Amino acid sequence: MPIKTWELDPNFRNEIMNEPGGEHLASCFQCSTCTLGCPITEIVPSYNPRKIIQMSLLGMREEVLSNPDLWICLICQTCTARCPQDVVVSDVLGAIRRIAEKEEEAGKLKIESPRPLFDKAFLHQLEKYGRLYDIGLAKEYYPKKEGSFIKGMRAMMKDYKDFGMRMFKKGKMGPKAILPEKIKRTGEVKKIFEKIGD
Amino acid sequence: MNGRKLAYYPGCPSAGTAVDQDMSTRAVFEKLGIELAEVEDWNCCGAAEAENPILVYALNARTLAIAEKDGLDIVTPCSICYYNLERSNMALKEDESLRAKMKEIDPSLDYRGGIKARHVLDVFINEIGMDELKSKIVKKVNIKVAPYYGCYIGRPPTTAFDDPDDPILMDQLIELIGGECVDFSYMKTKCCGGPLMMTRADIAFEMAKNVLEAAKRAGADCIALACPLCGMMLDAKQPDIEKALNIEIGMPVIYITQLLGLALGIDSKKLGLDKAAVDTKEIVGKVV
Ligand code: SF4
Ligand code: SF4
Repeated sequence: MPIKTWELDPNFRNEIMNEPGGEHLASCFQCSTCTLGCPITEIVPSYNPRKIIQMSLLGMREEVLSNPDLWICLICQTCTARCPQDVVVSDVLGAIRRIAEKEEEAGKLKIESPRPLFDKAFLHQLEKYGRLYDIGLAKEYYPKKEGSFIKGMRAMMKDYKDFGMRMFKKGKMGPKAILPEKIKRTGEVKKIFEKIGD
Repeated sequence: MNGRKLAYYPGCPSAGTAVDQDMSTRAVFEKLGIELAEVEDWNCCGAAEAENPILVYALNARTLAIAEKDGLDIVTPCSICYYNLERSNMALKEDESLRAKMKEIDPSLDYRGGIKARHVLDVFINEIGMDELKSKIVKKVNIKVAPYYGCYIGRPPTTAFDDPDDPILMDQLIELIGGECVDFSYMKTKCCGGPLMMTRADIAFEMAKNVLEAAKRAGADCIALACPLCGMMLDAKQPDIEKALNIEIGMPVIYITQLLGLALGIDSKKLGLDKAAVDTKEIVGKVV
């Protein structure tokens, strides 16, 4: 499909470069080293971080932000380690993901992947307890992902039935994991979230 | 490392899925005569879910500032915690305005840049050193091992402490304790799939399966690793992977701290080896 030049957003590259982590976007010279080494491409052959970067530089804002592939990056840093131009590729993708999340919050985009919900549910545990609380995370994430409390609990049971029992039997889900491990000065961590957001 | 004392950052999985990694880390340092002082009231590093670098810096500034009061470097057995702690340390050390920004958020984030974060593997080889380790080894861990490094030991280059393409620190440790490393170089540094476990389990399972099957093909008795997320994917989820993909693997997965602990003569129960989902008795039985 040819690019519709009149739909390009020349400011998109700056928008990304202004996000922490997105600073080095413009150094990319399209060598494709990032894509060639990416382990996701072995499972999803169409996955292409180089292309996401090129489209971003061109200003294809809508196409980039609505690309479902944004949400299957493993943040494994292989691309970052190999890029000859020091583009911190996985951080650039993270910066783009954050812009997409803001668009969704503003009601301008619908993200199909449940990953933003998961990340948020994870961070909410830190905000509340200062540490990760697995059960709290699952209780928040599943209902949001499935669209209702009942469906969420059902999906959670399905995923955790065998796994949870196994962990319990091996003493990995003892009383220590069933209750949240709350730090003493939670106020200090709450301040971080208040001032920076998630 | 100042003298024989380090600040210890167990990381969140230490309370649950990686309690065995925590137990073995504490036991090994005790045996080596190095005191671990758990960072008082430490908080989560943000793991892979905190994507905003500023948020990561703030979360870790708090932990770093607490450890800095005692002037102790922080050691952690978790690769992701290490990455977040050390990248925050580097960013804060370098940038005065970032430090000021942290202090403004809350006085508890007033970290001055006086310490370092270290991964246990780095401390074993580069601080304690092969000579001292060798002098304390009392048993031979006579097994074939697939050394699996995952993501944050050799990557990204800013915080890496081993070769990005062919890391060797774990190989050296395994050989030191009498083990044999199978040919695993093409798989050593590939991601286990863990970060997608909760949102794209299909991809995560496929990635973990690739690691497990490669170890099996290479003739390994077990996989050795140094990250609780890898541990959860490869060990705790292994029966789920077998069921979902209709395959049989049965590959024991052991933390490098557990293997070293066995060589140091520590009881396998104290190292948490009975807590693995895939049975480790056969491995323990080969330690002589
Ligand atoms: S490896 Fe770096 S320079 Fe090459 S295409 Fe990827 S981001 Fe661009
Ligand atoms: S960080 Fe993401 S894009 Fe980069 S190599 Fe890993 S999975 Fe691929």
